Amino acid sequence: MKRESELSVQLKRLGGCLALGFVLALMVGKHEGSQRDYGFAFRQAVFAPRIFVFLGIGVLIYLLIIFWPRVTPYLQRPGVRPLAAGALTVVAADALLRWTDSGQIEGGKLGAMSKAAADTGSLDFLTRAFFGSIVPGTPWILLAVVALLAAAAIVLDRGTLAWSAAALAVLVGLWGFYAQASVRSFLGAPDHSTGALASLLGYLTIACSAVVVARSDAEHADTRGFVDRLFSWRPGLPLVVLGFVTGLISLLVATWFSPSNAVDKVYDLGSRFAGSGVSALTTAYVSWLVYALFVACVAVAGAATYLRHKALGWVAIVLGTVSVILTLVVLHDFTAVAAAAGFDGASKPWKNLGVGGWLLCASFTMLAGAGWIAATHKRADDVVAADLVAGDSDHLATTSANFNKVLLFVVIAGALFYPPMATPFWQSVLVSQIGIYVLLAIGLNVVVGWAGLLDLGFIAFYAIGSYTTAYLVGALPVKPPEWLILPPLAAIPFAIVICLLAGVTLGAPTLRLRGDYLAIVTLGFGEIIRIAANNNPHGFTNGPRGAINIPHPSIDLGFFKFQWGLEALPYWYLLLVLICVIVLLFTRLENSRLGRSWAAIREDEVAAQATGINTTRVKLLAFAIGASTSGVAGVFFASQVGVISPDNFLLNNSILVVAYVVFGGMGSLPGAMAGAAVLTWLPEFLKDQVPAEDRQMWIGAVILLMMIFRPAGLIPAKRRKAELSGLEKPASAETTAVPAGEGM
Amino acid sequence: MQDFLNFLVLGLTRGSMYALIALGYTLVYGVLQLINFAHSEVFMSGAFGSYLVVNLVAGDTFLPWYGVIGVLLLGMVSGGIVGAIVAYGLERVAYRPLRRRGAPKLAFLISAIGMSFFLSQLAGKMFNRQKNNFFPEYFDANKRIIEVNGVHVTLLQVIIIGSALAMMLFLDQLVSQTKLGRSIRGVAEDAPTAALMGIDIDRTIARTFIIGGALGGAAGFLFGTAFGFFNTMGFIPGVKAFAAAVLGGIGNIRGAMLGGLLLGVVEALVPSAPWGTSQSWIGLQWTDVVAFVVLVLVLVFRPSGILGERLGRAA
Repeated sequence: MKRESELSVQLKRLGGCLALGFVLALMVGKHEGSQRDYGFAFRQAVFAPRIFVFLGIGVLIYLLIIFWPRVTPYLQRPGVRPLAAGALTVVAADALLRWTDSGQIEGGKLGAMSKAAADTGSLDFLTRAFFGSIVPGTPWILLAVVALLAAAAIVLDRGTLAWSAAALAVLVGLWGFYAQASVRSFLGAPDHSTGALASLLGYLTIACSAVVVARSDAEHADTRGFVDRLFSWRPGLPLVVLGFVTGLISLLVATWFSPSNAVDKVYDLGSRFAGSGVSALTTAYVSWLVYALFVACVAVAGAATYLRHKALGWVAIVLGTVSVILTLVVLHDFTAVAAAAGFDGASKPWKNLGVGGWLLCASFTMLAGAGWIAATHKRADDVVAADLVAGDSDHLATTSANFNKVLLFVVIAGALFYPPMATPFWQSVLVSQIGIYVLLAIGLNVVVGWAGLLDLGFIAFYAIGSYTTAYLVGALPVKPPEWLILPPLAAIPFAIVICLLAGVTLGAPTLRLRGDYLAIVTLGFGEIIRIAANNNPHGFTNGPRGAINIPHPSIDLGFFKFQWGLEALPYWYLLLVLICVIVLLFTRLENSRLGRSWAAIREDEVAAQATGINTTRVKLLAFAIGASTSGVAGVFFASQVGVISPDNFLLNNSILVVAYVVFGGMGSLPGAMAGAAVLTWLPEFLKDQVPAEDRQMWIGAVILLMMIFRPAGLIPAKRRKAELSGLEKPASAETTAVPAGEGM
Repeated sequence: MQDFLNFLVLGLTRGSMYALIALGYTLVYGVLQLINFAHSEVFMSGAFGSYLVVNLVAGDTFLPWYGVIGVLLLGMVSGGIVGAIVAYGLERVAYRPLRRRGAPKLAFLISAIGMSFFLSQLAGKMFNRQKNNFFPEYFDANKRIIEVNGVHVTLLQVIIIGSALAMMLFLDQLVSQTKLGRSIRGVAEDAPTAALMGIDIDRTIARTFIIGGALGGAAGFLFGTAFGFFNTMGFIPGVKAFAAAVLGGIGNIRGAMLGGLLLGVVEALVPSAPWGTSQSWIGLQWTDVVAFVVLVLVLVFRPSGILGERLGRAA
């Protein structure tokens, strides 16, 4: 082998970077080719001055690669990571997110909004100045100034500079938030935009980074250690703070009730509903009870976490739960009364609500969660005693566990109370895209992630579940006997059984095949099911038209009846119940004897067999369990949409589900869920950013980049992580950091 | 009998294209033990590249028969070159960085899937997203019919089968006779040992991708001439060729050729049996099902394909 010269290596690298710029130029752009002129899009992308911008980006990347070794030591300094995170958040908020969802401003992004707002004379001076009435592009200039100031503080390590950067960041963040708020009240339309909020959060993060720079004497950052210390000082206390802030926003700023021409805060409700026949509870609630509950919850949860008092923790749980229930009862009560009394624009119970009530519920949930953490936390002396025995690494495990618990409750609060705040569009995305694919990814994770069997026909079981439902509710041309016709939810056990059987039928002859052979056989199975459904053997599946008029699910327990309809939101809670049950079962499964057998055959099938694992049986079980999860998703899908056809079950979907699982982190349950959620959310998000047809291209690029830079996925499984990076800890940062005195 | 032969020719035409694509899968599988899921997009890129070149060269002129053959050769060569370039880029972007990081096997699969989405949609954006890009009417290779004893063979079919066989023969010789072929077989047999013997593994892998890409690109041109050019044209033939490669024994070059031809013939003959009557036993809409059932049956009885795996041993 001859060694390549330094020059040719650099030339190749430069060539690669320029090629990247070229490809970027092709990717970004509105134009598309047409049959009349195949080269149209290409010419528009390449033979235009803008190509130099992209080639410039390529050169920049090249320079970055060249100088990276000189930059890395500075990246170890304290405050760099939060600065980068904050600045990126602000960039994303300014460039990608909407600043208003009102139709009056095209697209609702910052650029369009600035143009509109800067020239609107009736806005106040501060607002117009932010949107660039004095200097065009003010938001971007502000961001550059703040970020550069903070960066300079990091490099030069000057306290005064850092404090001024922090102050400026806070000011700019608040200014932007204020400006957006005044535009919002000027437009007077409901608003779900996240741009201003994200920008505020970004600026606050930058401020945090500057404060860290000013306060820290350390030579190199220890972000993880800092976070761990913060979260384990008083486990649960961060949750109390978060709940407190959310509650304050809800009580002081947020809208609680908005029929036409009204945006009522919680303190406006009393006068609006005086004498309109609301219950005594509601009257009491809006006049004093809500504040009392909030103060009591914060106080009890705060005291419980601060004193690490178990009994107080239980009190906080009870109080939080009761408050959530009371809030929901009150929300229902006054919306029902408003609808009955014919308030202008008030339509139904649970309608016309602003975000306020839901935000307060989320706050109570988090406070109750803090109580739970306090109530179940091991006492400090226990932990210390355990530390003495187990050594340092165990202690680290408990601290990041504290962080995970806080995260868990934030996720619970979000899952319960975010969807009602979202726009109807996002509600339907949550149900019919994100939720269903999360369920499918959980199922496939058993097969691909845990047992290591590559299944490219997973969607077939989803189809079987859907068609089983369609058959059992009598929506197919071939009807079941009269006594067997069931409501959709009762089809779940049947779908599970049939998918189990289908999984075993497919698995039994094929599971002795190894990885890639299995992949093509499962792929074939998926196609066979789809084609069979399409070809309508014996008139069973109704061919390409599929099954129509599948009834929506309903529950009738005698004392409690509920009928799901066309709205997406109620389905979310049904889905949440399904997901929770399955996740609970599967977390138990992961570390059971069966779960460990799966891990064993995934790593080395021969060795696993040698240790006495019946590999065929274990693999079959993985297949069957994964398939039945998919069947449950199928039942849900069929009864939610009401119409199914073979086109819902394409091979592409099977491949996508595999991609979700691996993208999220193969073999990790939270990873698979996160992967599915992110990759189903992304196309809907990209709708605002790129031409709709190009979305798959960008998603492909995202998947590719993820695999190149983070092959273990978003949230890697612990076992996989250890395999990839080795069990020993990464080298200390100390050896590479620039001493603080020797900046530029 | 004549109908049977007609269907057989049809099957051989399709099968030889499957075989050409399957070779790309099998070569890469031989050296990396990975399914190159983006190979279908290499095929598509080759097809588009050749389409543009041929449109540019042939223009609107009427072509005599030798002109048609010349254009077909030009199309195959240009398709092969474009396919080779794209396959090389694919290896550099989606495979080599992951190999350096020691990524798990599925990560390669997913990065290739990402690349596949990316390439097919980029081609759609640059070219168009219609499904009816054919060569203009004058390009009538499809219509020149050679009739032998009541069996209809078009010039295009002759060229497809002939050139595919030639390319397969060439590849077989390349892998079994040349130095490059020896290094490919060495890497396929045992990469670390091959490295110790002085074979540059990265370079060999890249060249394997290039060879597979060239064959796939040429096949793309042939396929497009027969069935039209569009940005998702790679998907179905890609899946079929993957099945063909597995059928013959993935990683085995002769196996891929055999598997491809067999799959094509089975697809053409079985659903249309009995030949020559209007009512077939199975029905054409079950073609894909037949193909996959045959695959499953073969795999159940011979779990590593008809000829068994291993590039090193078989070629």
